[in-house]
Amino acid sequence: MLSHLIILAQAVPSAADAAQNADAGGVTKIFRDFGISWPFLTAQIVNFCVVAVILWRFAFRPVLATLDERKKKIADGLRYTEEMKAKLEAVQQESAASAKRAQADATRIIDEARKAAKEFLEKQTQEAAAKAGDMLAKAEQVIELEKRKMLAEARSEIARLVVETTQRVLAKELSEAERSRYNESAARELTNI
Amino acid sequence: MAHAKAAQKLARQLFAMSIVDGAVSADRVAGVLEYVETRQPANPVMVLKAYRRLVAAEIAKSIALVEHAGAINDAMLAAIAASMTRKYGRSVTATARKSPALLAGLRVQVGDDIYESSVAGQLAALAASV
Repeated sequence: MLSHLIILAQAVPSAADAAQNADAGGVTKIFRDFGISWPFLTAQIVNFCVVAVILWRFAFRPVLATLDERKKKIADGLRYTEEMKAKLEAVQQESAASAKRAQADATRIIDEARKAAKEFLEKQTQEAAAKAGDMLAKAEQVIELEKRKMLAEARSEIARLVVETTQRVLAKELSEAERSRYNESAARELTNI
Repeated sequence: MAHAKAAQKLARQLFAMSIVDGAVSADRVAGVLEYVETRQPANPVMVLKAYRRLVAAEIAKSIALVEHAGAINDAMLAAIAASMTRKYGRSVTATARKSPALLAGLRVQVGDDIYESSVAGQLAALAASV
């Protein structure tokens, strides 16, 4: 291909020479001074373009694609890392919050248990005191009843003894005349019923 | 149980026939006894026992039993009998019975009623009140 391009370049100068002769100005002079030959320049340009195209198609594009792919993978990796980091942080916060809640619940339960135990103890103490008071009152009542019963029994016994003694004394001491007078009085009383 | 009820009922009927002018008549009682002897009603022993109880109670209502400690004369008995006759509206006779346990005074029993004015009774009332 390159030889074709050179042949083409050599064919072009004829037309270029005509133009050159027509514009034999500064541009031509510059080209001549710097040794720039249109055919070769064109050929170089064409070669460069072909090589550039070939390189672009078979070299740069795959490499760029690979680079893009790697860049994408890296970006994905970084994003995944960031996401995982964020999730980890969220989980850690959640875990800390759960631990804190559990701690608070445990403290509350312990406090409630203490309070319930204290109330139970107080209630039991009050009940025991009330029972003791009741027993004491009942015992006092029993003692009082026993005392009254004893007094009543003593009174009855004393009365019985007094009556019996009186009966015995009267049976011995009452004379017939006194009895007779009493009988008359009783008869008067009974006839007035 | 049915026999006892029937015997009681018959006894009450016989007793009702034995009363004349508010008092038990000896003739009527004799007639009742003859009837039971001849007719031999059901459960005659039970009937006679119930009849005897009713007659005894009725007779007791007409007798004033005067228990006394010490001497008592007929005038007192007559006064007591007259008093009971007025009170119950039927003829009541007084009989005396000595009872030294009274110490002094009288106790009169007419049927189930008791009237007492005695030293023993007053001492017993004193003991009961104490």
